[in-house]
Amino acid sequence: MADNHATAALKTSTVEKQPETTEAEAPRVMTRTKRMMVAIDESDSSFYALQWVIDHFSDLLMTTETAEAEGDLLTVVHVQSQFYHFAAFPAGPGGATAVYASTAMIESVKKAQQEASAALLSRALQMCRAKQIRAETLVLEGDAKDMICQAVEQMHVDLLVVGSRGLGKIKRAFLGSVSDYCAQHASCPILIVRPPKEITK
Amino acid sequence: MATGDEKPVMVVGVDESEQSIYALEWTLDRFFAPYAPNFPFKLLIIHAKPNAVSALGFAGPGIVEVVPHVDADLKHTAAKVVDKAKGICESKSVHGAMMEVFEGDARNILCEVVDKHHASLLVVGSHGHGAIKRAVIGSVSDYCAHHAHCSVIIVKKPKIKL
Repeated sequence: MADNHATAALKTSTVEKQPETTEAEAPRVMTRTKRMMVAIDESDSSFYALQWVIDHFSDLLMTTETAEAEGDLLTVVHVQSQFYHFAAFPAGPGGATAVYASTAMIESVKKAQQEASAALLSRALQMCRAKQIRAETLVLEGDAKDMICQAVEQMHVDLLVVGSRGLGKIKRAFLGSVSDYCAQHASCPILIVRPPKEITK
Repeated sequence: MATGDEKPVMVVGVDESEQSIYALEWTLDRFFAPYAPNFPFKLLIIHAKPNAVSALGFAGPGIVEVVPHVDADLKHTAAKVVDKAKGICESKSVHGAMMEVFEGDARNILCEVVDKHHASLLVVGSHGHGAIKRAVIGSVSDYCAHHAHCSVIIVKKPKIKL
């Protein structure tokens, strides 16, 4: 265990030093491995965002020889919401009691979630393959905002792409917005793709 | 729209801050430099010069004398920003970028420019204010992300973590 920690610490320190040196030596030369991450959920707007990225950045992402050498990579990430292992049901006039969900229920919900994310991701991969884009998928579990920002840091993403549900100000304040949170907290540039409402393209 | 049909338009908003210069460089590195001379986007660089009176933020008896100086200073800053942006474009061999300077509030100007040119992408830097500053000063990048009629890239200058 100590070895693992030591090597992990070494890795992070060397990796973090790299951006410093590149900035010091040649501020113009950015790291060539371009990694784009697209966050997907069940909403249409996130798939629209993926399609938009594929359409507009197809030059950048296509698997030509130069792209392979430079390592352009599109990562499609889906964050599953956590399923709490107990649910509070109001038991009656006495108040709410916490009922621990049976393991069978947990299993079936997890399986349903996994199938749902697998379906989403395979749909996303199909969209990428149609345009010959090298893509990989990733499934994370937890709170969408935090997991996406963590993934951005850990995987050294160059550009994060999110859809936008086009919530108004009030809804944003109450429902919270993953795209808003990521725009403020992600450590990389973020592309927010707006769905076309009445915009004629 | 004859030329616009072939190439989608990308608008980059710049001010005199380091973050927006970084945003411009990032954009050019990512989307333009590797593809010279056949760029995938048409580039439009916009600088919004704040209105002298709104920039002062106070009203009082002395304001009439101060306004011309502030205005001259703002024009000077705007010219510097334009020169700097042009310099960056040249250094990355990105030609054919259009630059425009408007006067007024950056948020509205950027959204109007996007509409006018039917841009497909708007790029802005971010000052990286915290939540409270954002509430007080407001954030152009936030406003654009919510109100522009096209997709928005917000580029943040990465802080070097120790």
